[in-house]
Formats: sequence, C-alpha cells, structure tokens
Amino acid sequence: MSNANNVKKSDVKIVRSTSAFDCGGRCPLRLHVKDGKIIRIETDDYEVKEEQLRACLRCRALRQYVYHPKRLKFPLKRDGPKGSGKFKRISWDEALSEIAKKLKEVKELYGNLSIFLALGGGYQAAYHDGMLAMMRLLTQFGGYSTHYGNVSSEGAVYATQTMYKSPFVGNSRDDLLNSNLIIMWGWDPARMISGTDTIFNLVKAKEKGIKIISIDPRYTDSATILADQWIPIVPGTDVAMMVAMAYVIIKENLHDQEFLDKYTVGFEKFKAYVMGEEDGIPKTPKWAEKITTVSAKIITDLALEYGRTKPAALMDCQAPARSAVGELYNRAAITLTAMTGNIGVHGGSAAGGLMGIPYGHMFFRAGIPPPRRNPVEEGLKSVRGSLDLNLRFQARCHTNKIFDAILKGKKGGYPFDVKFAWFINNNFLNQLGNANKSAKALKQLDYMVISELWLTPTAKYADIILPVSSIAERSDLTRPWPSGPYFTIANKAIEPLGECKSDLRIAEELADKLGITEFVKYPDVESSLKFMLKMTEDTRKEIKNFKKFKEQGIHRVKLEEPHVAFKKEIEDPENHPFGTPTGKIEIYSQRIADLNDPDNPPIPKYLERWEGRYDPLSKKYPLQLLSPHPKSRVHSEMYLVEWLKEVDPHVAWINPVDAEARNIKNGDEILVYNGRGKLKIKAWLTERIIPGVISISEGAWYDPDDNGIDRGGCVNTLTMDAYSPGGASALKSCLVEIKKFKGGA
Amino acid sequence: MQIGFYFDQTRCIGCSACAVACKDWYDIPAGPERWMRILYNETGKLPKVFVSYTISPCFHCEDPVCIPVCPVEAIIKREEDGIVVVNSEKCIGNEQCDSKCLKACPYDAPQFSNKVGAKMHKCNYCLDRFVEGKLPICVEACRTHALDAGYLDDLKRKYGDIQETKNFTYSERTKPAIIFKPKLK
Repeated sequence: MSNANNVKKSDVKIVRSTSAFDCGGRCPLRLHVKDGKIIRIETDDYEVKEEQLRACLRCRALRQYVYHPKRLKFPLKRDGPKGSGKFKRISWDEALSEIAKKLKEVKELYGNLSIFLALGGGYQAAYHDGMLAMMRLLTQFGGYSTHYGNVSSEGAVYATQTMYKSPFVGNSRDDLLNSNLIIMWGWDPARMISGTDTIFNLVKAKEKGIKIISIDPRYTDSATILADQWIPIVPGTDVAMMVAMAYVIIKENLHDQEFLDKYTVGFEKFKAYVMGEEDGIPKTPKWAEKITTVSAKIITDLALEYGRTKPAALMDCQAPARSAVGELYNRAAITLTAMTGNIGVHGGSAAGGLMGIPYGHMFFRAGIPPPRRNPVEEGLKSVRGSLDLNLRFQARCHTNKIFDAILKGKKGGYPFDVKFAWFINNNFLNQLGNANKSAKALKQLDYMVISELWLTPTAKYADIILPVSSIAERSDLTRPWPSGPYFTIANKAIEPLGECKSDLRIAEELADKLGITEFVKYPDVESSLKFMLKMTEDTRKEIKNFKKFKEQGIHRVKLEEPHVAFKKEIEDPENHPFGTPTGKIEIYSQRIADLNDPDNPPIPKYLERWEGRYDPLSKKYPLQLLSPHPKSRVHSEMYLVEWLKEVDPHVAWINPVDAEARNIKNGDEILVYNGRGKLKIKAWLTERIIPGVISISEGAWYDPDDNGIDRGGCVNTLTMDAYSPGGASALKSCLVEIKKFKGGA
Repeated sequence: MQIGFYFDQTRCIGCSACAVACKDWYDIPAGPERWMRILYNETGKLPKVFVSYTISPCFHCEDPVCIPVCPVEAIIKREEDGIVVVNSEKCIGNEQCDSKCLKACPYDAPQFSNKVGAKMHKCNYCLDRFVEGKLPICVEACRTHALDAGYLDDLKRKYGDIQETKNFTYSERTKPAIIFKPKLK
C-alpha cells in the first residue's frame, strides 16, 4: 500500500503552518514531516470542533503543489524566442549579475521610470514577501514605475471609500446567526473563501431557520445548500434590481427616515432618481423586470421582505463589481442597507462587498516598508483617499492596463516607457484582461524578470526566471483576510527545493550586486518575525508569548461579542463620525460630482455600458461571459496540481437553451470566441445558469496553439483590459459567441 | 460491532476536500483509484433546480457481497468493528479475476488504478487512524461538518436511521453502514 501503514509515528514531526495564497482564508495546517519531507497534511485540531478553521481542498493538496515535478528549482535564462518556453539553467550569480547590469543600464539610458514592477497578491505573508522587498530595494535604487488597482476588489474599495471612507465593512461571521434574513447577492463563499469559517456559519444560520436568498446568474455551490430561493439575474443588471427594490421600499414607506436623516447625506437626491422625478422614469419593479429578467413580483416581494425583516444582512460581494461601472453595484447595495437601517447593528450588514473586519486583517500585516516615497513619485500630487483616479495615474498605470502600457508607453498616454519589468507574485498574462494582447506586449518588451515557482504562461516570456521557495520552505507571519479574528504563523517545514530562494533573500543578494548598502538585512528569521509582531498594533497587543504562538501556529482573538462594522459610528455619532468629508454615509458624493463623469454618477444609478446584455455588440456576440473563482485553485495558482484538477474539470457552464440552439451537447468540445480571442473548452450543460450567459472559471493556464486558439481555456483570452471609473477591472463585462469545435481554426 | 458513516446531504457543497484529503493521507496519485468519490445529481428546471451530492466511500456493508466473490479471499470483514479490508498483496489483480468485487458491489467501492493488472484498494475507514482513536480523515476534512463516523448504533441514536437518499438506494442484500440526513429541496 502507500506509506500510510509503515510510517513509524516517532519519525514524524508535526509542523504548524498555513498557506500564503491569495485566498480569503488562512487555515491552520499540520504538516507531517518525515526525513525532511512532507508526507501528509492535516488541518486545524482546535478542541472546540465547531470552531475549527478547516482547510479547503486546495490546501489538502498542498503536498502535491510543493513537490510537483514541474516546480522550478534553478535560475533559468531564456534560450529561444520570447514566449517559446525554452530556457537553460544558470547560476544564481550569473542571473543576479545580469539583472543588476541590466538595471543599471536601463537607469542610465532611460531613467528609473522605465523600470517597472508588476506586483501581485500571490504571496500573502509579512517577511519573505518579494513585493515589499523589491519596492524597498528599487526605492533605494532611485525608483520604479508600477500600477494601481486591485484586480479583485477595486470596485468595492471605491464604493466603500466613497460612502464610508473605510474598507472595514464586514461583521464577524458568527454575527450572521443574529440575522433574520440573509441575501447573498453575487456571493459564493463555498468557493471563494471569504473567511475560513464563513460557509459553516452560513450553514448554522440556515439550520437556525434564518431565510437565505441567493441572487446570482448561477445557482452557486453555496446556494445549492443554503438558499431557500434562487433569483437568477442577468449579469450587470444588479443595480436595476436594487433601485427597483428601493422604489418599493420608498413607496411602501418602509425606509428608515430617522436613520437616513441622522447618518446619511443625499438620500433625497437618490429618491428623486428612483421615483422618476429626476429623469421621468420611475424605477418600478416593472421597469427593472425588462432589464434584469427578474419578475416584478419577485422584486416587489423581496423588497417588502427586506424592508420589513429586521435585522437583515444584504451580503454583496466583489465579483459583480468587476465590470464596466462595477462600483455602482456596491454603492447601490450600501444605499439599501442604509435605507433599511441595517448598518452598525447585529445581524445586519453594511454591504460594500469587502466583508473585512479589523482583527487580524491582511491590511494590517507587518512588513518592512520602503524607507521613503518612491523617488519617481516624489513631488507629485498626493493621491491619498482621492476618488479621482487620474491622480493615481501620474506615475502609474491601471493594473488591467499593464500590458497596454508596455505596448504603447508614453505615446499611448502612459507616464512611462517600460524597458525593464519585474513580475513578482503574479501570473498577470493569465489573470488580466485580453491575454492575447498581453502576450504580444511581452514579446516586444525589452527585458523581463520573473520570480516564480512555475513556468506559468507569464513566465514563459521572461528573460530570467528566479525560482522562489514555497511557504512550506519558509517561516513567516500570515493573516486571514478578510475575516478572522485570529493570527497565524507558518513554520518552515522543509528546506527549499533545489536552489529555490525566498524573495527577500533574492532582493538582499541583488542589493549587494547593485552596491546598495542600506538595504536592511535580516539574517535571523526568528528574531525578525518577533520584531514584526511588535510592528503592528494588533499583534503587539494580542501575542505576548512568541514560543506558544509558534508551537500552536495560531492565536485566536476572543471577542466579547461578534464584531459589527460601524457600531461606534451608529451608537455614538457625535464622537465617531464617518471618515467622509460630511462625516456621514454619502449616498450622494460631492467628491464624485466634482469629477463630472457621466459614467460615475454622484448617486448610485443603473447605467448600461459596454459589453453588457444590451450592448449592440450582443448581436454579434450574444452571450455574456462570467469568470468566477475556481473551486480547485486560487486564481491560477495550483493549476498543475492533479489532485485538484481531477475533482474540478475545467468546463463551460451553458444553459441547455443556449446549447440546443447551437446543436451543442453535454461534453462537446466548443469554441468560445469574440474579437479578442478564442478558446477551446468542454461544454457542461446545466440548469444552474441562466440562458444568455456562460461561465468559465478563471485561472486555467493560457496555451495558444498555432491557430491562436487557447487550448488551455484561460478565460482572459476573451476578456477586456478595461477598467471602470472607480478602477474596477472590468473582466465580467464580456460578450462572446460559442460553437461546436471542429478542430483547426 | 459495526462502524459506519453519517452523511448530512443538506450540508454538502461538493467541494471534494474529503476526497483530496483521502488521496493525501493514503498517497494515492490522481487517477481512477478514488477511495472517496462525490456523486453529483441535478434535476429540475431553472429556477427550481435541485442539486445534491452523495459521498461514495466504502460503506463497510454488514453483508459485504465483495467478500464471497473474491476468488482468493483477499477481502475480509473484521469481526471486532465490521471494517471491510482488502489484502491488496493477496489480490490477484483486476485482469485475472475480471474485477469481480467491483462488479458485485452496488456502490462501486472497490478501486483500481489504471495500471495493467491493478490490485484492488479501497476505503478502509482509515483503519490506521481508527486504531489510534481518530476519525477518518474525510470526516475531519469536511468544512461544513457534513460527515461523521463511529459505531452504527451510536450514529443511529444521534442522527436517526434514514438509510436512503436521492441517488442512493439502500441495498437490503449488502446492508451498507451509512446514515443520511437527506436533502429534500
């Protein structure tokens, strides 16, 4: 049999760790290590079983990820045309010497703005993080250009900055049990781990008898067990339904006028829009029915139920906001929670899509920041808290425009011409819009370095690949985001594979090559981690015993009661105003009004914009494409892990109505295409998606054949590299057509 | 005594954490040998769609039909706890015997790798963990606590005695040791 029966217990050491993936969980792992090798994995063994933070399938497969034969183990130098994937092994000295030489050259010839750092979320820990290390190093080197805008959440960030001036809009998950109605709007926590314990708390809520409703174009995994009712909706039309609900609530006088008067500004303007006083169109359920395809009766019933049930938790998310005018979805959701007085109370929800609580949150993670402002941004107008994105682009590009910026540079209106790019913690070719265009950009890029564990579609275009160690090969401080409350630590379980190094060590060694002496070195990991625990207020307060923390791998924060966002602001508004200019929840935002952008209205409105169902382009490409989180990967991370692949085949969800119209049968190979690209994938016919919409999980690796067909089924072969006025990467505003795949072109 | 599983179908999101944990614990490569399988069921029309998942390990039947059909008596049922275990060394492989155990089992529990002449392996109720007083790895892996395991009598006392659900028929012939909380809507 396997090693299972001949493992002598005494030979096995249990090492407490976590992942550092860009997921919303941070789950305690017990790595069984024998002879320097991980042989098995168990998860949390907390004595209160109901409160265990159990790892999902991804980390159950962590061993196959760590030891995958395709892990990169040596520095590589390109040995063929860019993108060919041909590389030869070189030494670390050779690799870092070449990079240092190149950096100096580019700085000399073109200036520091031509050195571009592409930074992703692929490593969520404090100490070895290559992102902070490289920012520090290149700041000391005279500066670098970079990008702005979180691919996942920028719409929600913009909405919460606009209305609350705080991203901490979440209640702790046990507070869901205090609710009397939970509305999951575009939210699938079974897959997207928005807090390790979120799904189980929802199960408990349901079993307590709390009604749960799911509004989503798909009957999600979460909805299948939680939802009393599934309300299918056309993607991109959520705001129409929300404002129609507002119409019913106002009409029936169910809105909490006292709350609105006391804590908000601008409701009258919103009301004027909703009731049709502004534009002559009352936003009735009938009006919304035509747009959303949700019947007026269902909208009315839901509005009445939401208006009358106290407290009620409207749980919006980030996904629907990843669209053309995505932030309006979160802004409309927040407006509904304000109208119903569900903010700052137990069992309610402030909406806003981020769900973060300020305990153990990633935003507060420690890290050694750059010693001063990036020199290339010195003297530029401050962007702090600004809702004007143009201010953010003085020396940066939007994240979803990285490849466009590389292609076009200053001629295309960007503030820099990229001559040298370093990709860290990301697989952006795969994960940003329009992969074919991204590949083109990387082909023409002068010089590219990537720090990676894998030969990803992005890494294939690098000139130098630096192999980095995995979390199992490092000790580091990790945190859950968005929901704890707890802190975790990853203890190093094994030695780095091959010649892999931590990103921090790479930066340190490169500092030597560049002759930078001020780059702080941290030779002793343990004292560095201890030091970092003292850096952040929450850990300083909570973690008194480092040894115990290390041994247990987790420190649980005991809250006297479930955390509720904005409780102070609601209970004691005199002393705790909201951070907005008015000190109130801004349903109407003067800061946005000042921008004078018709796509960014000062009150939340339903707007029809590009590549939605009603775009004229839908005549040519009639299907809306969704790209939800995969259940078996963290974005494109773990893509090669076979244990995960086999339980989650990569397929396109298609309603039988759309399939039959095109003579497509379940399991058929289909071509999904639009003006940006084409990909091949298997069709999965299901009633769990509304007609007119198909769904392909993001993160499968881009693999174009000679005919330009992406055989890997990377959904971003089809999406657009565009962003909303609030900075949301508009990956879900995407129209496609499908047909049976017949081979060749 | 007879051990068994409890499965709360109303809690299962089909995530497969149990199946992956099983593969990790027993070091089984990706492929057809799957000691824990998750069966998918979807019926109805939008928006009244019904979806359920059913776990499919070995149900350690009270009257296992795999045992008498094995030509070399490689499968036994432990008297003390009812765990059905296979001696894979003894098994002569699926080519030689034409997978008699798999054909006999109403639940497809016997598993073979894709190697020629593969020998039978299957869920052993995590016997190595059981003797240490631990629950099977699949039970501890479940994020929604949809799984439990223990002595069948205890499970019946705790969870009732429903032994059928959507896509699962209780075989009177083999008597699988499983208790369900069925998902009805």
